This record gives sequence, structure tokens and C-alpha cells, in this order.
Amino acid sequence: MTHNRLRSIDQNVMHDMALVEHFRAAIGMRTFILTPSYPFMFVGEIVSMVGDQVEIFAETTHFAQLEKRNWLIHVHNIEVFYIEFPGDPRIPELNDML
Amino acid sequence: MIRRYHVVAIPIRIVVNNFGDHNPNGQMYVLKENESKVKELVRKNPFTPVELVQPLTIRANEGDTVEILFENQLPFAAGMHFQDLDYDVLTSDGANVGFNPSSLAESGNKLLYKLDATFEGICFFTDVGNVSSTEEGSSIQGLFGTLLVEKRGSWWTDPVTGGPINSGVFADIHHPFLPSFREYAWFFNDEMEVDDLTGNPPLNPMTNQEGESFHGVNYRYEPLHNRLKLIEEGVVSPELEGEEVHHDSWVFGDPATPILCGYRDDPAVVRLIHAGSKETHVFHYHVHQWLRDPGNINSEIVDAQAISPQSHYSVQPLYGLGSLQGAIGDVVIHCHLYPHFEAGMWGMNRIFDTLQDGSQCYPNGTPIAPLQPLPDRPCPPQPTKEKPGFPNFIPGKVGCKAPRPPLGIVGGRGMTELEKNAAVPNARPGAVFADSCLGNPVVLEFNVSVIDLPLVYNKQGWNDPKGRIYVKDEELEDVLSGKKEPEPLVLHAPAGSCVRINFTNRLSHILDGDAFQLVTRTYEVGFHIHFVKFDVLVSDGANVGWNYDSAILPGETGRYEWYADTELKAFFFHDHLFPTTHQQHGIFGSCVIQPRFSKFLDSRTGEETDHGTQITVAHPIIPDYRDFALFVQDFALLFDRDGCPIQPPPFPGSLEDPGIFAVNYKNEPLQFRLGKDCDPAYSFSSYVNGDPVTPILRAYEGDPIRIRLLQGAHEESHSFNVHGLRWKSERPSNDSQIRSQQHIGISESFTLETEIPRAGDYLWAFETEEDVWNGTWGLIRAYDQEVNHLIPLSDRPLPDSRTKPLPEVTGKPPAPADPQSSLPPEAAHNPPVRKYRVVAFQTPIIYNSFGDHDPYGIVFALEEDVKDIRRGKKKPEPLVLRGNAGDLVEVTLTSRLKPDLFPFPNGIYPYPPVKEQAFYPPSLRISLHVNMLNYDVTTSSGDTVGFNPDQTVGPGETITYRWHVQDSMGTCAMWDMADLRNHRSFGAFGAFIAEPRFTTYHDPHTLEPAQTGTNVILKHPLNGDYREFVLVMHDGVRLENKHGKVIIDPLDGVIPKADPDDEVDTYDFGSRGFNYRSERLINRFRKHPVLGDLFSSEVHDDPATPVFEAYPGDPVVIRLTTPSERRRSHTFHLHGHNWKFDPRDIDSRIDSYTGHMVTGVTEDLLLIGGAGGTYNYPGDYMYRAGNIRWDIEQGMWGIIRVHDKTQPHLPLLDK
Repeated sequence: MTHNRLRSIDQNVMHDMALVEHFRAAIGMRTFILTPSYPFMFVGEIVSMVGDQVEIFAETTHFAQLEKRNWLIHVHNIEVFYIEFPGDPRIPELNDML
Repeated sequence: MIRRYHVVAIPIRIVVNNFGDHNPNGQMYVLKENESKVKELVRKNPFTPVELVQPLTIRANEGDTVEILFENQLPFAAGMHFQDLDYDVLTSDGANVGFNPSSLAESGNKLLYKLDATFEGICFFTDVGNVSSTEEGSSIQGLFGTLLVEKRGSWWTDPVTGGPINSGVFADIHHPFLPSFREYAWFFNDEMEVDDLTGNPPLNPMTNQEGESFHGVNYRYEPLHNRLKLIEEGVVSPELEGEEVHHDSWVFGDPATPILCGYRDDPAVVRLIHAGSKETHVFHYHVHQWLRDPGNINSEIVDAQAISPQSHYSVQPLYGLGSLQGAIGDVVIHCHLYPHFEAGMWGMNRIFDTLQDGSQCYPNGTPIAPLQPLPDRPCPPQPTKEKPGFPNFIPGKVGCKAPRPPLGIVGGRGMTELEKNAAVPNARPGAVFADSCLGNPVVLEFNVSVIDLPLVYNKQGWNDPKGRIYVKDEELEDVLSGKKEPEPLVLHAPAGSCVRINFTNRLSHILDGDAFQLVTRTYEVGFHIHFVKFDVLVSDGANVGWNYDSAILPGETGRYEWYADTELKAFFFHDHLFPTTHQQHGIFGSCVIQPRFSKFLDSRTGEETDHGTQITVAHPIIPDYRDFALFVQDFALLFDRDGCPIQPPPFPGSLEDPGIFAVNYKNEPLQFRLGKDCDPAYSFSSYVNGDPVTPILRAYEGDPIRIRLLQGAHEESHSFNVHGLRWKSERPSNDSQIRSQQHIGISESFTLETEIPRAGDYLWAFETEEDVWNGTWGLIRAYDQEVNHLIPLSDRPLPDSRTKPLPEVTGKPPAPADPQSSLPPEAAHNPPVRKYRVVAFQTPIIYNSFGDHDPYGIVFALEEDVKDIRRGKKKPEPLVLRGNAGDLVEVTLTSRLKPDLFPFPNGIYPYPPVKEQAFYPPSLRISLHVNMLNYDVTTSSGDTVGFNPDQTVGPGETITYRWHVQDSMGTCAMWDMADLRNHRSFGAFGAFIAEPRFTTYHDPHTLEPAQTGTNVILKHPLNGDYREFVLVMHDGVRLENKHGKVIIDPLDGVIPKADPDDEVDTYDFGSRGFNYRSERLINRFRKHPVLGDLFSSEVHDDPATPVFEAYPGDPVVIRLTTPSERRRSHTFHLHGHNWKFDPRDIDSRIDSYTGHMVTGVTEDLLLIGGAGGTYNYPGDYMYRAGNIRWDIEQGMWGIIRVHDKTQPHLPLLDK
């Protein structure tokens, strides 16, 4: 198979665009995201897309001190995600033991 | 860059504290420029510590060449042997090994060492010219030091003056673009000679007997017995008892031991070095945590770390001094082994919050030395009258015990004006001078009391009438009434919680006297915690330095606050006021910081709970798991049911290993599990003897589990093994090594995370001989069908309804296992099958050329080698089997044991001894257990355990085990499980090596394929050729000399001769070596009594222990294991070579030693640069133990020979 450099760049662009569009279509919905870097986990509503960054209102992260604020997460930093589209299973409830 | 030091080895009087205790025969290394000064100061101050008398600490940078002109003023040939550095072994080894020219300097001579500092870190040095373990030895008397290698481009200054320094245990290290940091060298040293002012061994005023041997730091120690004298004489508050104020500077002033000074948030590194000779210590540093492997962000976070002789670690506290919460005050650093702590092995880290420029004083009028702020950090504020800074806002009274903390005691006092000025804005009980809980987290509140109650440890009625335990207040009645079985308190809290404890002291005021202990007024008690964030001044649960006394008096309730900032694992809590006196009675527990959002369920009922040693954890995202906590104990002071003390010490109050062993207040000694047939092979069988009273950890097949491994008491190392399961040694890392064994010292905490692949009974055991003999074992029981006492995990398939009845005790041995009926759980279909036929039989083993031998050896060998071994054509060596990743290995084992070839037909095995000797006749059955491999535990673990079938074989019988090599993990240990008392130390052990797929194994001399052997060449189509050297480091051997007389090691091996007063613990007895060989130095010394020549092959020929051969640069892997058998941990060190601490992890630290060598350990040492080290220098390299007392003299050493010319008998590798 011949190597087509332009074609591989296209693949990256298509991949990123697809992600961006997917998240853009989900503005206002809740999402669950895992990232390889601190603070590793986010649960919250997708507020907007800022370029190729997802803005979410983090209702839950791994650390309570970092919650209840907006986070911008670059799509390259998203390792795993799930979006709670209407009719799909709910993201599990994460409650601190009270 | 070349750095040059002129170092002199001198005899020196070492004064070890302000009470005038001293070592008249000390030895040390010192820079030539300080030699005359230090000698003059010592002459003028015969009973006062001299600052310059300290272990020599010099520095260089990565990439430097270091030239050391070494001058020897000692009366014997001595040298400087450097660990971790690269050097030409023929000129700079600081030793006289094999056929190398000696690189020791004769008395009065000088020589030059040239060393390359390749890697940043600690390069410990010591003398190996005189390895006598007596007070005539050099290391014991202080001849050690370190070269600290800093990052390239660094420079260093004196923390007091800010000027340059050439040596010193404390320095500030600077770098053009890295943060400056405080560097503290901390040398543990033990067993050094020490006399009191009168020239006699120090006495303990409580027992009026000789005190504990020297256990100190940087040539200093601050034992309780000296400070106790000041109380008894009324010099300080005579109403005090002693132990509760041992570390209290208000009463006694500061100790002579090191005080590591810094400002809040300063970056710091403690260069921790075990320069001692014998014990494996546990370094514990209050308030702070660090990465076990400082360069590896995915290594475990620890706050206590066991360290074996001649080992070292860099301890880099996360968040700097005072940790995340910014604590200020005195932070005790100590060996957590209580007898060592009491004997003086402690110091402090003093964290100031105001500038110290030399104008301030401590409350007792002693000037505070200046401390330069680090240049790249904000300057701390100047002290003022209103805000004098620590310790001068604390309302204490010199000569009296430290004051109680403000706010913390229910009904207690508020704050003074000065305290208010120093307090955080939202000061509250338990968090006054540091805000331990960041922000406004969830608060969990626990009500806990400490109570007295008798504890019964086993079915035979062994009991501790003076048990003392922590218990939740809500369960007080149930525990005291016997409705609830006492167990160590284990609390559970999700990460991110603020934990508040209301702690009530309900202990009786007095701990009464008995055969073990003298009457002690234990009138206050604390709740000291590990790992979490807290205000050390008021919530330490201790009484340290100029801090408050945060203990609780009888009937009082105190409040502590801690913060679990992230998932931390199980942290230890215990008393810190009288721990040496009463922790071994049961005052310990744990709080497990579970993942955030976890729910904790009673595993039996499914109801929510917040405590328990066995619970189920449910989580909305990650898999649910079973959570189990095990606390091993030694020094358990038990009586039998007739009230007779079990293993009392020589006199009450002695700390010479009193008592016995247990787990979670229970034990199950093997002596009571012989069954009707008196066959040890069924000691672990529940069919014959019923289930043990020790914990049975219950789960269903397939369940994830987390074992929280802790040690509750008191002095000794233990070796935890699980048969049939394995886990990552660095839990956060995906690149970690796999392990089935974990060494533990008191206060360490390990989380062993794994899952149970198949139903069956899995043995867990603290498996050194004396531990397991006395009952430190139990089961993990995985059910294949539903039982009514265990809820299923919510995210796992429901277990099938029960169709088969649960097995029951029959009193008879179980049916033989049928390994051919199942495949190992992880085996693929149609895996490649590799077959071995192994025979177990008895044969004499010659351990060296001097005739030391074991006439009753028991060995495993391949069937085809048996004849040659029996005829003496082949020398026995530990059996080494190999398999490649993916293989199914079928090992057919046959027993040819004969009853008349066992040494003690009367069934009592007298030497090497264990505590609680009892009738336990040798079994004629035998088995082969291997750790780490994957197999069906009910058929192929080699254990007849619980309700599993019989996996041992009797004479003439065979069994074919099926082991699956699931990965190329390297070394796995093998040993017999049929009779741990009468088989293993005689040689019934070996190793299995799990190699990469497609590897072939070849004889190093003929290159023919090899079936077995400790020395092979590995050939691999991608990896190239490797030399593989297998070293089995073992102890507890019963040897006879050439006249048939039993050798009582270690003392029979001591050079020049043993001190009759030497204390030998039971687990130190026995001979030791590598691969059924021991080159005991005493034999050589008798022939040629020159200490400096003991390792010389020119003088003595090569040792009997393996001499492995290679060419410079040959890739070499050393497979190292200790399958047998005693509790004393050894260190392994190879001269001139380094390897990765974790060979699978590229970020792992680089070492030249491996500590904690104890039963079940497996290590793989891939030599960096191959044979000859980084620069491939030819020559003879000694491998050896790091324990001067008592391993090296006793024969634990050998040679790796790197030839510079091609040898006819040693073909070159195909590289």
C-alpha cells in the first residue's frame, strides 16, 4: 500500500471534526469523560464548544475541590466519554457518603 | 568534571549523646582537611558529642569523575567500597576479591580510587576489608559514609552559614533552573559498641538490666533509659512515667539525634541510608508521604518504608516540608520497630514558620541556630512579640510535660492570645495551626474508644488477659459482652472526606506486671495516624519536641481532625504515648481510604456499614470488590489456658523477643494440627483439622479483591505470601512487576489488588518458618455456588444456586487431586506443553571444600539426573525449571523420601530452633509449590489446604501438576508445602523461570540445549543471547562440619570469635548461603588469619559458592530468590553493577542492592551495561549479602567473573 501523507492528515482532521460535531450536538446534555491527566474524570453538562475544546460545567470530578465550575477539555485529551442522549442509559449517580 | 577528595579512615571516640554514652573504639571516614580538627575536638570533649564526628557525606554531580585519595590510619587493611558508582574493579573496588589485585590500603598506606558518578542518587560506601560482625569489625564501629550524586550543574551550601561546604550530612542544594532543596543524610546504624560514662554497658533503670543494644542515627542515639533516669532522680517532673515523654523537649530539651530544620513548604530530600549491620528497620516520617520510587510518578505512595542493611532510598516528601496542609512544628522521624525506637533510633524534622537568624531562643533558653532561607523561596516572616513563631507561642513550662492542645479536649481550654495569633482563621478542635481539610469537604465523624478486655487467640485457649483494643463506641457493649468477636478496628472512608474522631480513653490507669512486663502506669493514650493530612501540633496523637501533648487522659474525650485528600489505601493508627509498652496487646487499627463515591456493605447481611476487617465495597463506576484487612503481630504476650506464659523473655520488661505471633488477634499453630495420623502434610487441611480460627477471607469465584496488608506489632519483619494469586507490586503502574509475596515491617501498608479466578481455598501465610509454625496463616475461600453468609457483588453474575453441600470435616486426609481434570484458569486452548519429571529424594549435600555438609539434604532433581547425583557424579544444586510465556508446564513429581534418612526420628526438630518447639514428625509426603504462575489452586498449587484435595505425594506416588506460564515474569520461587518444618531448610526448594516466548535454554559451556541448571544461556530470535545466573539465597540450614559436629551458626562462624553475650534471636540461627553452598569465612580465617585476604582467590582459591563467568558487555540477568526460610531479611548486593529496581518499568530507580530478601521473594536483576557494568570492566565482582551481622562471615557471598580474554571452556555469546 502506498503511503499517502495527505490522506493520513485528513483522517486526523475527520476524526477531530467528528468528535467536535458529536459534542456540539450534545450541548445541554450530561457527559462522562475520562482524561489521562489531572483530575482524570468529569461528569457534567456540556455548556458549549470553544473551537475544539468542550466546555462542561463539572458537577463531579475526582476531587471535590475542583467541582461546580466550568472546565475546558481539549478533544485530544478525551480518552473515554459517554453522552447521556435522551433515551440512553443514565450516567450512574455519584454521591458522597453523607 | 573531576572532583577530588582526600579521605582518611581514623580510629575515633564517638560520643553518642549528651549523657556521655560513647564508643571508645569508633572508626570513621573524615576529610583530611578536618582530621586534626576533629581529633582535637574529641580530645577536648571526651563526654560531649562533637558535630564533626558524623558519617562522612560528600557530594558530586551526575557525570563527574570522582577521585578519592584514601588514607588508612586503622590497624588493618581497609578501603572504601562504593555502591552504585561505576569503576574499574581491578583498581577501585575497595576490596580484595577473587583474582583481582587488592584495592584495600594497608595500615598507614594510601591509594587512589577513581569513580564515575553516572546516576543521580545515593552512593553508600563502607569498608569490606574487615567484615567481622564483632566490635572488632569496621562497619559495626562506624566506618561508612556516602557520596551523594546531585543533578548535573548543582552546587551546595551550608544551611546555617550559606557558605560553601565540602562535606556534611546537611546541605542546601541549588541548581540553575531546578528548585533549591534541603538535603538531609540520615544514616541508621545499629549494634555499635557503646559504653556509659563509667565505661560499662548502659543499664535500663526500669529493669536494672543491660539496656538494648545501640540503635541510632548518624552516630547518635537518644534512648529512653537515659531520660528516665532524670525522672527517677527528680531532675524533671517526677510524676511522669517515662515513655510518654521520651520525645518531649519541654521536659528534656532537644535530643542529641539529628534535627532536620527547614521552613514550611521547603522542598526537601532525606537521603535515607541503612549503614547498620543486622536489622531491617522501618523508616517512618510523621505528617509526610513520598513516592516509593522517587522518579516514578506511578509508584506507590508511602509514609513508612522498610530498609535492610546496606540499602538506601531517597525520601522526597510530597508538597515539601509540612505537606499539603502546611503543618508547622516538630515532626518525629523514627524507626517504627518499637524496641529500636525506645533504644534511641529517632530524630526530628523541625518546621519553622518564622525566620531564624540566630537571634531567637527555644523556650529553655538554648539559642536557635540560624537557618538560611532557600534562595528561590519567599523569605519567612520575622518573628515578632505577638507572633513569635513555632515553638514560642506554645504555653509550655520547661522541665514539665508539654501542654495540652487548645480546643481539642472536650471540656478543655481555649486559646491564649499568642495561640490565637498563630492559629488559622477557622481554628477548630483538631485543626488549630494548620487547616488540615482543604475547602469544605464532606465530614465523617467516628466515635472511638480504647478499652481493656481479655483476648482469646485460638481454640487451645492461648490468651492475652491484658488485651487492649480500639472499638467504635456504638459496639462497646457488644464487644464487652462477647456478642461480637473482637477484631482490629478497621474504619472505611471515601477519598476526599474530612474525618473527625471523638476519641475516649477507657483504659485502666495501670498495665499490671507479669512474666512479660513490669507494672507500668499507662495513664494517657493517643490516636496517632499515618498518611492523612493533619495539624501535627495538636492532632499527632503523640508528644514530640516542642509540640503539644496530644494524648488523652483516662475518662477524657479528645477530638482529632484529618483529611484524606485522595484514595490512599489503608492507613495505620495506633497509640504513640506508650506504644512499646502496650501496642502489642492490640492497640492498633486502620482506616481505609476507599475510592470516592464508594458504599460499604456488610458482606454477610448487605447492610451499609463503616467498619470491619471484611467488607464489600460497591461503586457506581469501577467494579465492586471485597475488602480484607490483615494485621500481622509479633510480641503477642500470651498465656496458655493454664495461665503459663508462652515464650516469656529472660526477665520481665526485657525486649528480647518476648511472646509469639498472630494475625488479627488470632493464631493457628501447626503443632495442634497433626491429625490422627500425625502427618504434617495435612496440617493446613480443613478436612482433617477443620477451618483455622484465623481469618477466612470469603468471596465468590471471579470476585475482585483488595487485601489491606498491615502490621500491628511490634519489632520484626514478616513475609506475606498468597498461594495461587498474584498482584502488581506498584499498584498505580501498568508496567509493574507481578508478585505473590510482600515483605512487611510494622506500620507499612500495602494494598494487594487482584481477583480470584476460580473457586477453591487459597492459602495466605506469613510464611517464614517460625511465623507459620506458630499460626500466622489462613485462607481465602472462593465459592462456586451461592452461600447464605455472603452477598454477591452487584455487578457480577449471580452465583448459581447451591446444588452441592458445603464440604465438612471428616478427620481424614482428602482424596488425591486430579490436575489433569482441569486447565489453569488463564491457559489458552491447545497451549504448547512442556514436561518435566521431577523426583524428591534425600542425599547429602556438601556445602564447601572445608567439609561443611548437610548429611540429610532433601532435593528436587530431574529424574534423569538422580542417578548421577546419588553416585556423586553430579553435585546437587537447587532445581531450576523454565518455561516460556504461553506454555503449559506439566511437572510430574515423585517422592522417594525414606523415613530412616531423616535426622530426628523422635519428631522434635531441635536446630535451627523455633519458638514453641513441639512434636512434629517428618512427613514422607512431599509437594512442589510454585508462586506467581497460573494454575487451578484445587489441583496444582502443591498445597493440601482448606477443603482442597490432596496435592502431596507419598513414597513411590506421583502427581502431575499443570502450571500455565501466563507471562515472562522471570523468577518464581518453588518449595515444598508438605512439611515446612522438616523439609524446606534441608533443600526442598528451587526456582521456576518464566521466560519470553520463543526462548531456548543452553548450557554455557557446550551450548547444547539445557533442561535445567542455575547457569544457562538464553537464546531468543529478537532479544539476542543472555547469560542467566540463578541465585537461591537461603538460610536456616543445619550443617555439620567434617567431623560430624553440628555447626551452630551464626556464632560458630563469627570472626575472630563470638562474644558469649551476643544475642541470637531464634530466627538468626542456622547456616546460610547460595545454591546449597556456603563459603563460611571462618574456615578461611583459620587457615590464613588475615581479614583483608578473606575473599581472595589468590590466597584461598575460588569459593564453593557459584563463580559465574561472562565476558565484558555480555547481557546478564540474575534471577534471585529466597524460597527458604527464616524471618531475618537479607540484602543482596553485587559490586560494580546496577539494575532497575523494577525491570519492567523504564522510570524505575537504579539500584545495586536488593533488600528484604525473605521467604517467597523473587527478583530479576538485568545488569545495566551487562557484565562488567556500564563501562564493561573485566575482573572479579563479588555478590554478597549486605548484612555484616550475620551473613557475610557465614558464607553468603560469591563471585561473578568477567574475563578479558576468551576462555576455551566458555564460548562467546552470539550478540
